[in-house]
Amino acid sequence: MSATAVTVRDLTRRFGAFVAVDHVSFDVEPGTIFGFLGSNGAGKSTTIRMLCGLLRPSSGSALVGGIDVTRDPEAVKRRIGYMSQKFSLYELLTVEENLTFFGGLYGLDDEQLARRKPFAIHMAGLDGRERTLTRDLAGGWRQRLALGCSILHEPRILFLDEPTGGVDPVSRREFWILINSLASTGVTVFVTTHYLDEAEHCHRLALMHAGRIATMGTVAELKRAFTNRVVFEVRTNAPMESLRALDGLASVEKTSLFGTALHVWMKPGERETAPLANRLAERGLSAESFEVVEPSLEDVFMDVVERQEGAAS
Amino acid sequence: MRKALAVGLKEFRQIARDTRTLLILLFVPAFFLLLYGYALNWDIRHVRLAVLDRDHSTDSRQLISAFVNSTFFDRVADVSSMADVESLMDRDRIRAALVIPENMSRDVRSGRQAAVQIILSGDNANTATAVFGYAQAIVRGVSAALQIEMASGRLAPPPLSADARIWFNPELKSTLFLVPGLIGFIVMISCVVSTSLSIVREKERGTWEQVRMAPINTVSYVVGKTIPYFVVSYASALFIIFAAMFLFGMPMRGSWSALLAALSLYVVGALGTGLLVSTLVDSQALAFLVSLLVSLLPTMILSGFVFPISSMPVPIQMISLIVPARYFLVVLRGIVLKGADAAMYVQQFGALALYAATVLGLASLRLARERG
Amino acid sequence: MRRLLFLIRKEIQELRRNPRMFPVLFIAPVIQLGILGYAATTDVRNVPVVVADGDRSPASRELVGRFEASRYFSVIDVVSTTSGVDQDLMRGRAWLVLAIPPGYGRMTEAGTPVGLQVLADGSDSNSTTVALAYASTLIAEKAAELAVARSPARIAPIGSIEARIRVWFNPELSSRHFMVPGVLALLLMVITTVLGAMAIVREKELGTLEQLNVTPLRRWELTVGKLLPFGIIGMIDVLLVVAVAALWFEIPLRGSLPLLLGLSMIYLVCTLSLGLFVSTVSQTQQQAMMTAVFFFMMPMLYLSGFIFPIENMPAVIQPFTYLIPLRYYLVIVRGIFLKGVGLEAFWKDALMMTACGVAVLSLATMRSRKTLR
Repeated sequence: MSATAVTVRDLTRRFGAFVAVDHVSFDVEPGTIFGFLGSNGAGKSTTIRMLCGLLRPSSGSALVGGIDVTRDPEAVKRRIGYMSQKFSLYELLTVEENLTFFGGLYGLDDEQLARRKPFAIHMAGLDGRERTLTRDLAGGWRQRLALGCSILHEPRILFLDEPTGGVDPVSRREFWILINSLASTGVTVFVTTHYLDEAEHCHRLALMHAGRIATMGTVAELKRAFTNRVVFEVRTNAPMESLRALDGLASVEKTSLFGTALHVWMKPGERETAPLANRLAERGLSAESFEVVEPSLEDVFMDVVERQEGAAS
Repeated sequence: MRKALAVGLKEFRQIARDTRTLLILLFVPAFFLLLYGYALNWDIRHVRLAVLDRDHSTDSRQLISAFVNSTFFDRVADVSSMADVESLMDRDRIRAALVIPENMSRDVRSGRQAAVQIILSGDNANTATAVFGYAQAIVRGVSAALQIEMASGRLAPPPLSADARIWFNPELKSTLFLVPGLIGFIVMISCVVSTSLSIVREKERGTWEQVRMAPINTVSYVVGKTIPYFVVSYASALFIIFAAMFLFGMPMRGSWSALLAALSLYVVGALGTGLLVSTLVDSQALAFLVSLLVSLLPTMILSGFVFPISSMPVPIQMISLIVPARYFLVVLRGIVLKGADAAMYVQQFGALALYAATVLGLASLRLARERG
Repeated sequence: MRRLLFLIRKEIQELRRNPRMFPVLFIAPVIQLGILGYAATTDVRNVPVVVADGDRSPASRELVGRFEASRYFSVIDVVSTTSGVDQDLMRGRAWLVLAIPPGYGRMTEAGTPVGLQVLADGSDSNSTTVALAYASTLIAEKAAELAVARSPARIAPIGSIEARIRVWFNPELSSRHFMVPGVLALLLMVITTVLGAMAIVREKELGTLEQLNVTPLRRWELTVGKLLPFGIIGMIDVLLVVAVAALWFEIPLRGSLPLLLGLSMIYLVCTLSLGLFVSTVSQTQQQAMMTAVFFFMMPMLYLSGFIFPIENMPAVIQPFTYLIPLRYYLVIVRGIFLKGVGLEAFWKDALMMTACGVAVLSLATMRSRKTLR
């Protein structure tokens, strides 16, 4: 296996005139969890499909596990596991039957099946429910079964496309525990998600917007990229009016609502709260507190998107 | 009513999105009507006949003339032995042979019964049956004529004769009969096929919950679901009829309003059939299978399209009573070929209306139960 | 190879868990054959006739009685005038109207020639022609009877000509014997084409196809894996309908049963592959259904020689019928049932059918891609 598990250079996919994935490049280190973030339609699923050999790239290259996926997609498929966004196991089969089926497709012989099936069942927490029809499993359990089916053949690289879509937060947490445990055994996990809180679990992140990678790095790096700017969380009794009041201030870059509070992004170098308090007082408003907060991933993401759109227009 | 329209609009958007299906539904049926109308006919003409005349009498020649003058047979060979007949049959050069024995004339005029042999190729039993009937009729006709001649003299006119008049289709072109039947068939299949997946698709895709929860009563829902398919299928049916008339020459001797009314009832019934099937099954594959089994062969075979209903055994005739195409064909042929108007077909209109109401009613009942 | 077995096992598991399929797959065809086998007859029987008897004499009633007694006719009404009979013809209530003029009895008694009027609804040209032929025969024979009755006894006795009709290649000339094997072939076509058409596209629609495409499963394994279980279902259907044909309709199976089964297998491969091909070119099951019905099943129904003889078709259309596997299967089925012949008679058809099957199967396999372009 090469130094990186996945190497992508200028990967592009067009559907007619529409460019779904636009010259995307990145590397994924082995044994890490790489997160692909973006809103719906950003191009995440298309990218994953190309890396799995399900979709042919229009141009560009991708090496998965050292194999050129455009030249030999079938060889790639033998070595990877894939969990699709849409649930894609057989509803009419039992838990065990689905596992046996996919295990058989990956060429596991009887001995291997006997070893891996219980492992997968246990990992998914489905002990005792082997005979349950897949159709009768609740949401979170289905995802875990799908994960189990994708690791039967002990792949070194896993591609998970929105694996926690539509699942309750508790199940989501438990799912991520599973992903982490897999990564700790050296498996490279490539995950797409549009849940920003999940992104915190990833070693590295790429933010995708409109087919392009807007920004990439570890979570800390991404947040640090904005630390030359201060973000104040301001609690007032009149959020909307306060927002309007502060918006035009010279030292303020932008404002946004954050729950019931305000997030005020100061321009680079500005960190005084006095001008803010004064402006509020002018309007007859007051603030309970000014607190410096770390920009949340959501802030970062929104900012990135805005800047990209700004650049595009 | 507004809610029904809302359902209808949503369904219509879904239909419009699947361009290929929409195009197929609208235009392909008309295309195939033209194809089949052009390709298919049933006329028994030019049956290749060989004649083996061992009698060589005036009477035998009269018999042969009767065969030749009928519109069915073409005399293509005169042979002198059975071996010739066999060889020609085997090579498919002839499909029929008339073998007149020696002394036929003498036997008949002596009061005996002479037997002529007619050999038919049973290769195509459909046409062979008809040819069998014609051959029989010709021989018996000549026999009777001879008897009259022997009894009353050559020049005497027969005591009884039949003057046949053929109404509505004097040239007896089989396409005039087939085309309305084709119309009925194609319209039925198109309609059933378009609605039979509509409800089941929601079950399979998992959007069924939304249907169950929707704040709309079941009848309105059924009506709403049917409307867009009605629009598309009706348009398609009109294309078929226009194609038949303008590109194919099917006449229109009756009233348009009667035709359109019958068409509406028929289309609603057919759509309802598909809908009913959709409520009874839980997978699209099954819906497809059941709807075809229920519509394809029965409409082809039990509706009077190709096989006359009166010839079927009575229990089967009873079964054909629930095939809506049966009634539609009577009305369609009546209006188009015979110039009849709606008043003549009260029974058929009633049957069509009853069928439509029944299937839609059953579908609603079934749906209401499933919605809880 | 092992993967194939896993796939087949999965298909069987899915089928077993879909219990509503069984009556549709196995019982419905039997019932359909039972009904349609009786219905599909070109024999003309019970033609509805209305008699306008303007005479109402014992003589005219005797004539009407002949029509009543004939199995070709069914006298539904005897009225006294011809007014109103046009309505009957228009309504389709009667196909034939026989008008006996007033004075019929008197005139035939006296030896005066009488002309009867026969009005026929020409819309069903074939049935009308046959019905007219029967009617005129009946009338001609009555005429001959009248003439013979009046002839002086001293003239030489009067004979008659009788037709002895022999039918080669299909001695019983049972329309049923001809049609039942045809209905059999058609039922098989409908069922297997549907199964094939839904097979792959269903997984496409539900999303499981993508999961299959990401595994090492090969394309031919997918195609064959879908084909085999449905092929088995098809063969069971073949056995069932052949049993119905032979035991219920008592159509003699003159030829070899193993040959019939073997060639049926090839036929099933043809129809299943056609369905699979449709499956690979469709995105949704609805599309697959439309495509299969309009572009494959209907043409097969009409252009295969099932009802409408191919030789009657315009020359420009006939070459296309060579592409229809049902055409060959019909020849084979009818041949084995009715004529008792074997491969020597229809080896060309068998070969063409096999070629069809191989071609379509390859096409279906090639079209199913694991990596979308």
